[in-house]
Amino acid sequence: MTTGIIFGPEYLRHEQSPTHPERNERLAYTMDQLMEEGLFDHPDIMLIPPRKATRTEVLAVHDPGYLSFLEESSVTGGMIDYDTAIPHGLIGDALLAAGGAVIAADAVIDQTIHNAFVLCRPPGHHAGRSHGGGFCYLNNAAIAVRHLQRRGMKRILILDWDAHHGNGTQEIFFTDPSVLFCSVHQFPFYPGSGQIDEIGSGEGIGYTVNMPVPGGSSDQVYQYLLTEIVIPLAEEFQPDCIVVSAGQDNHFSDPLTGLALTARGYATMMQEVCILADSICLGRLVGILEGGYSVEGGLPYTNLGIIAAMAGLDISAIREPDSLLDLLHRSVSESAISQVITITGELKEILSPYWTCFR
Amino acid sequence: MFTGIDIGGTNTDIALIDSDIRTIKVSNSKGLAQALLKAGDGGRLAVSTSQPLNAMVTGSTGRVRTITIPGPGLVHGGAVKGAVGPRGDVLEPVDTRQVEGLLRGCRADAVAIVGKFSVRNPVQEEIVRDIARQFFDDEQIAISAPLGGLNFPARIATTRINAGIKATVVSLSDQIRKTHPDFLFVTSDGGLCGFDRAIDNPSLLYHSSPATVALGAGYLSKKQDCLVVDIGGTTTDLVPIRDGKPVLQTLFVQGRRTLIQAVTADTIPLGGDSCIRDVLTQVRSGNARAFGGGEPTLTDALNVLGADIGDVSRSCCLDPAKAFEAYQYYLETLGAIIHRKDPGLIVGAGFLAPYLIPDLADEARVRYYVPEHAASANAVGAAVSRISIRIHARADSGRGILTLNGVDYPLPAGISDDDLLMYAGEIVRTQARKEGAPAQDLKELLTSQYSVYNVVRGGRTQARITDFVIGIAPGITAEAP
Ligand SMILES: [Zn+2]
Repeated sequence: MTTGIIFGPEYLRHEQSPTHPERNERLAYTMDQLMEEGLFDHPDIMLIPPRKATRTEVLAVHDPGYLSFLEESSVTGGMIDYDTAIPHGLIGDALLAAGGAVIAADAVIDQTIHNAFVLCRPPGHHAGRSHGGGFCYLNNAAIAVRHLQRRGMKRILILDWDAHHGNGTQEIFFTDPSVLFCSVHQFPFYPGSGQIDEIGSGEGIGYTVNMPVPGGSSDQVYQYLLTEIVIPLAEEFQPDCIVVSAGQDNHFSDPLTGLALTARGYATMMQEVCILADSICLGRLVGILEGGYSVEGGLPYTNLGIIAAMAGLDISAIREPDSLLDLLHRSVSESAISQVITITGELKEILSPYWTCFR
Repeated sequence: MFTGIDIGGTNTDIALIDSDIRTIKVSNSKGLAQALLKAGDGGRLAVSTSQPLNAMVTGSTGRVRTITIPGPGLVHGGAVKGAVGPRGDVLEPVDTRQVEGLLRGCRADAVAIVGKFSVRNPVQEEIVRDIARQFFDDEQIAISAPLGGLNFPARIATTRINAGIKATVVSLSDQIRKTHPDFLFVTSDGGLCGFDRAIDNPSLLYHSSPATVALGAGYLSKKQDCLVVDIGGTTTDLVPIRDGKPVLQTLFVQGRRTLIQAVTADTIPLGGDSCIRDVLTQVRSGNARAFGGGEPTLTDALNVLGADIGDVSRSCCLDPAKAFEAYQYYLETLGAIIHRKDPGLIVGAGFLAPYLIPDLADEARVRYYVPEHAASANAVGAAVSRISIRIHARADSGRGILTLNGVDYPLPAGISDDDLLMYAGEIVRTQARKEGAPAQDLKELLTSQYSVYNVVRGGRTQARITDFVIGIAPGITAEAP
């Protein structure tokens, strides 16, 4: 039962600017923590280097025109939005991130490993078919999903728990009933989409599920949504593989968002998803890093927690240092859960025509 | 004069090298003092202590009590409250009462103290060590910060080894210093280190034997690429040499990864003292009969087949057919392993090399070379080796600190990336010079695992963090004759 970690020093290369929130420091303390924990020597963990995604793999998701735009802008330099510049050489780094997700998918299908976590940069879930944005260029998770399908996996469940709505991924699979896209995100918040009535269209109606949560939502809220929405849906959908867009900006110390998840909360959530995957899809599970900007107080502990959970290690001592406890207490909103219970009721109502579990 | 001593399982080899090479073998029963006397006191002395330390590590090092300070993350045995972060800041204070509670009345022989990220700031290990000093002698206590590298479980394994062998290394060091105050130890990578460094991190000395032999065989044969076949009493070691240097790898001890870098070697449990009980076995029950032992061994077989080693008359009880069979078995077993490695050339080392290597090379279908003094290649290697250092460096411009293997140095403000390497390099050179390294050995420093990032808070760059490994590679000293 091996967990693959897809990582290479190339994942530290991409930077829009030295002080951008999505900079190489994001993974510096995580790598320190993983190395200090001796995880790369652990018999249940295998380090796998990434490779670049091929054009075919990318074009299964993105428009050729958009890919050309990225390729050309990588030479000249360019801009997608205020937060998302295209630095020189971007395309190589973006292809490596997407390729890491593809390699993870391959290794899980081939049973080289039981499950995989891709510690890639830049992230992907705001990238749509023909646009980037929100620090994202290529949609790594979507590219992995299409690759899984090309290799014979019919139905894929995407759980996007990044603090921001995965608008790019939603757009890509909006009309596709073979991919069940579930997103938990802070709302109202960037990018503005992800309300409960966005449920897909055409044949894909009912296969997009949005769980907007208020600021201050804690471990308890995420556990509640997992139990009430995600697990019943997954059990009814019976996917062949689960892909997690594992953003870590819901951590209570994240400087860009207002949620209140703990490292232990992340680890527990991943543990539940592993149990789910074991029960419905032979454990096939690919986690892909999205956001997460608390480089020192959050990411080392959340990444460790997620990997430890995937590898079946003891997560009972996964936690932040005590010095952050005050911040945690200030971040948690006691009223969030009651709001979420109300929203969940409405969401089940909206989804009930498509899912027997909500009838 | 360059003098090397290798303390083996039964004998101690001595090599004295100036314009020519002299070698001496002293039985361990005569004691180390006798060997040191024969070594004389002119020039530089290097001592390889591999065998006694190996025996301790694989046998019993006594009971070692481990105290860990795991902080947030994965927990290991002997945990107490406390935490240091990746940047070396103290995140949670050590629970000193908990430490006292664990150590009071603890009947261990030694204490290993290991804190997560202690290599970035050793202060919490030092606090625990100060408490441990109330209950234990200094030479029974080891901390992990001097190991320098990240990997908490590997530091736990290595620090436990250190705690277990530290007292032996200290007493050995004290004994040798009486007559040779500036002596050096041979390390597991085949380099040399001063006794201070060895006492801080005794694991440096563990498993030095294959490295010493490889270096000696390389020096004697002048071959750059070969497989050294060292035929000992209990084992035959195969040590590849590439571009004149043995290959280093991380050592695992009893299945656990350590932070010890040791020479790559295959050890086959057959040697000159392997007993012949109908067939050649992997058992050693003492010396060969030719050297006063009770059971016939591979060495006795060589005598029966016409060699003249030790007291030949005592070997004769061995049936010639069995002797031939045992000899053939050794050649076929080793020959097949060597052939698979396809080394092109084997260089023999060890007392039996002249007797066995020609036929072994024939069996493996490779060329061979047995240099003069092959029997003492180990001691020769110790004599001609040079001081090597491997230091994990981390510069944190925010804290204004350069940490080298757990020891803090001031970091000049605004230092450039290039100047930082020069600055760290000069500290490495100073350390090596203090231990006696000549200038020619300090010309070339090796830097690896270089990485750098900026600490950005609130959109502003507040510090620059640089990590690298810097040091002097092991090898033969430029001063060797
Ligand atoms: Zn995000």
